[in-house]
Amino acid sequence: MITQEQYRTRVKELLSSGTVKMVIGYKPGSTPDRRRPLFIRTAEEANRLVLDSACITNLSGYLVTEGLLSDEKKVAIFLRPEGIRSINILAAESQLNADQIIILGFDSTGSVVKTLDGTHAGDFSELLGSIKQNSPVKPSEVLFEQVEQMTPAERFAFWQEEFSRCIKCYACRQACPMCYCRRCIVDSNQPQWVNTSSHTLGNFEWNIVRAFHLAGRCVECGNCGRACPVNIPLRLINRRMAQEVIEAFDHFPGLNQTQEPVLASFKKDDSETFIL
Amino acid sequence: MAKIGVFICHCGENIGAKVDCSRLAEALGEHPGVAVSVEYKYFCSDPGQESVKKAIRDNNLTGVVVAACSPRMHEATFRKACAEAGLNPYQCEIANIREQCSWVHTDKDMATEKAMDITRSMVEKVKRNNNLQPIEVPVTRRALVIGGGIAGIQAALDIANAGQEVVLVEREPSLGGHMAQLSETFPTLDCSQCIMTPRMVEAAQHPNIRLLTYAEIESVDGYIGNFKVKVRMKSRCVDMNSCTGCGDCITKCPLKKIPSEFDCGLGKRTAIYTPFAQSVPNKPVIDKANCIYFKNGKCKICTKSCQFNSINFEMQDEFIELEIGAIVVATGFQVQNNAQYGEYGYGKYPDVINGLQFERLASASGPTAGKILRPSDGKEPQTVVFIQCAGSRDPSKGVRYCSKICCMYTAKHAMLYAHKVHDGKTHIFYMDIRAAGKGYDEFSRRAIEEDEASYVRGRVSKVWQENGKLMVRGVDTLLGKPVEIAADMVVLATTMIPQPDAKEFAKTIGIGYDEYGFYNEAHLKLRPVESSTAGIFLAGACQSPKDIPDSVAQASASASKVLALFSKDKLEREPVIAINNEATCAGCWGCVLACPYNAIEKKDILDRSGRLIKRVAFVNPGLCQGCGTCVTFCRSNSIDLAGFTEKQIFAEVMGL
Repeated sequence: MITQEQYRTRVKELLSSGTVKMVIGYKPGSTPDRRRPLFIRTAEEANRLVLDSACITNLSGYLVTEGLLSDEKKVAIFLRPEGIRSINILAAESQLNADQIIILGFDSTGSVVKTLDGTHAGDFSELLGSIKQNSPVKPSEVLFEQVEQMTPAERFAFWQEEFSRCIKCYACRQACPMCYCRRCIVDSNQPQWVNTSSHTLGNFEWNIVRAFHLAGRCVECGNCGRACPVNIPLRLINRRMAQEVIEAFDHFPGLNQTQEPVLASFKKDDSETFIL
Repeated sequence: MAKIGVFICHCGENIGAKVDCSRLAEALGEHPGVAVSVEYKYFCSDPGQESVKKAIRDNNLTGVVVAACSPRMHEATFRKACAEAGLNPYQCEIANIREQCSWVHTDKDMATEKAMDITRSMVEKVKRNNNLQPIEVPVTRRALVIGGGIAGIQAALDIANAGQEVVLVEREPSLGGHMAQLSETFPTLDCSQCIMTPRMVEAAQHPNIRLLTYAEIESVDGYIGNFKVKVRMKSRCVDMNSCTGCGDCITKCPLKKIPSEFDCGLGKRTAIYTPFAQSVPNKPVIDKANCIYFKNGKCKICTKSCQFNSINFEMQDEFIELEIGAIVVATGFQVQNNAQYGEYGYGKYPDVINGLQFERLASASGPTAGKILRPSDGKEPQTVVFIQCAGSRDPSKGVRYCSKICCMYTAKHAMLYAHKVHDGKTHIFYMDIRAAGKGYDEFSRRAIEEDEASYVRGRVSKVWQENGKLMVRGVDTLLGKPVEIAADMVVLATTMIPQPDAKEFAKTIGIGYDEYGFYNEAHLKLRPVESSTAGIFLAGACQSPKDIPDSVAQASASASKVLALFSKDKLEREPVIAINNEATCAGCWGCVLACPYNAIEKKDILDRSGRLIKRVAFVNPGLCQGCGTCVTFCRSNSIDLAGFTEKQIFAEVMGL
């Protein structure tokens, strides 16, 4: 609660001094353990802010809303470390100017919420570096381990089963801060690469395309999995890709704003001989 | 409404034997949109092409599919035929039913089915083809030759003599390369420097050649006809304009014991030096790694000796930007360091030397003025052992390939030694004698028969020192007996290997290389002097081990390729380039990084009052090579490749 009060005061200052034009934070949701995004423009509204361990949604995706940052005014936003990584990636991919973002960083262990020092994305580089160092190479999640142990045929059957529930609502896409394209490839119908109907083939196509497009970009915030109305464990796919990318390229996305996209950049001393 | 003509070629028996062409023609005739479907023995023949043209005119065809060999063989042929019949050449596609079908299958029925699939899929593609116009690009008529050895000089002279401008870049202080270091040359035993130096002088004085020595290529951008090359002129600390090359500074330099690179460490040089007496340009350079002034800030004795104030210790590297139309790469080779063969004692015993060091001993301009004297005590060796294949044809410790020149130069060394030390004895350990070439076998026979070189077929297992002699233990496999020879000097026929920075340099200029670092030709047999990058050609030992005649021949061949390129005002380029849809582009710039040709730039889209609406990617059509890397990277599928559009590829896949 102390942290919440501290941050409410910060938000009031930021808004009343005109430092930021908007603050993006959390407000109570429909149940005690759910939180909704809150967008406030005046200091008076600051008391509506909630900050506790239930605030888990990565809010960074709201920053790339068309036109929000085009007036070059600043916006403050509540972010966990993975949200800060998202800001770095969005800045590296030219989707926003990190100087316009004031970060109200926080993290939680159990029900205890703590503040993170710093306001600019660049202030957190040490913290993010330590997350990379400590990120478990072998994740402990039981379901992930189970899927890893499966034979390819079993794994295929597992995902076939999971994807059979997919209704192609694209909530995972809408929830993901990385899915900012003006036109998603699945919405292009000339030609129609990805089938629109939600049968197994189309569902596989969509989820595999999504996994590839997030390779080397996903910060594992979990927005997609929480948004999924049929509870497909999408985090397992993201975890797998993140592991592939760190093992193959030692790439931990979102460390800083100058990080080049891992699948688009190449260096002269890359070991691949096909690079001329 | 599409009217597609399908032309099925038997290619004699090549396709006809494994694909039932009549069935194929019949099946395709029933495919929607196909107006004509015919077979013929050889469509690439004159009557074959005429029949294609006639079918286009008679049926007003909108597209053509030739089901035949690889498009690499005859795509150009049939596109030309289509153009002559009034059809846009890019409405012609080749369905490869030879390399990818008849040649690799044995079951005729299944091969025929597969040929149908391949041809149908191309019909579906061609239905969606657009009329494309070739892109014309200007040609800068200026060649860049990289490397000033015999291959580079030859290529530069040939191009310059044909009236075109050449920039010749050499990274050492003088032209000459390895050939200038050699004593005599096989198979005629003419003096290497006597035939080399006139070429060096000719290149330096040629009005069409701009010579840049002590210079390195910093970067190469652009594409065939329009390269932009940045050259680093390393600072010589000597002003090339005012220096007369009198050499006073060299005699005054207090550092006189630096091992000379040109003499392979057998001779000494000063810190301000010219590599050898006939250097071109014959103006010195300061070796900053050794010069006393650069080490502790004192000395400058050379400055005092110079009457023309040419020495400038403050001189910095300079950069020159060049516009270049074609590039000849002639960067040469190095000799392998034999120290890795501990059993031969190279690097351990001073009298075990490599082939290039022997050249310097035998050369009149060398450290011993042409006398064969052993490095340890300066005495004339009475017995010399030569070990061939020291590093080559050795998959375990050396290289797998044959270094090609060593059999010949070892025979030459034995002859030169016999001519200089009349009662000397030579023993040559060899695996095979490879003396293929004009006058080569005769030459190696002459070494055996006239100059009494004793060839021992077998390998050497150990060389060690004993009582002032080098003991060589080996085996004579023809007699099946071990041999031991007490020698005064041992010469290793060292392998030619790529330059130490060959791979790095290949990446700088954008050409391919093999596992060793030798540069890859576009086709080993049919395009041996072109690199895989259009407009970049290869000459000399940078491609593979070569002797002088081969290097010179390849250099002239490269020059002729350059001149053919320069014979045109404009080049026609395939209009296969990427195009970005600005409406859907998200501006993530992944494509900008992914593009290997730097062809994609950022473009601002402004509203009427000049305010930025958004920034998108823009593909420069002049620089785009149509590789498609950006297309595969673009997450929103905003980039499309003309001639291979998403619609075409999708139709092709769905047609299978």
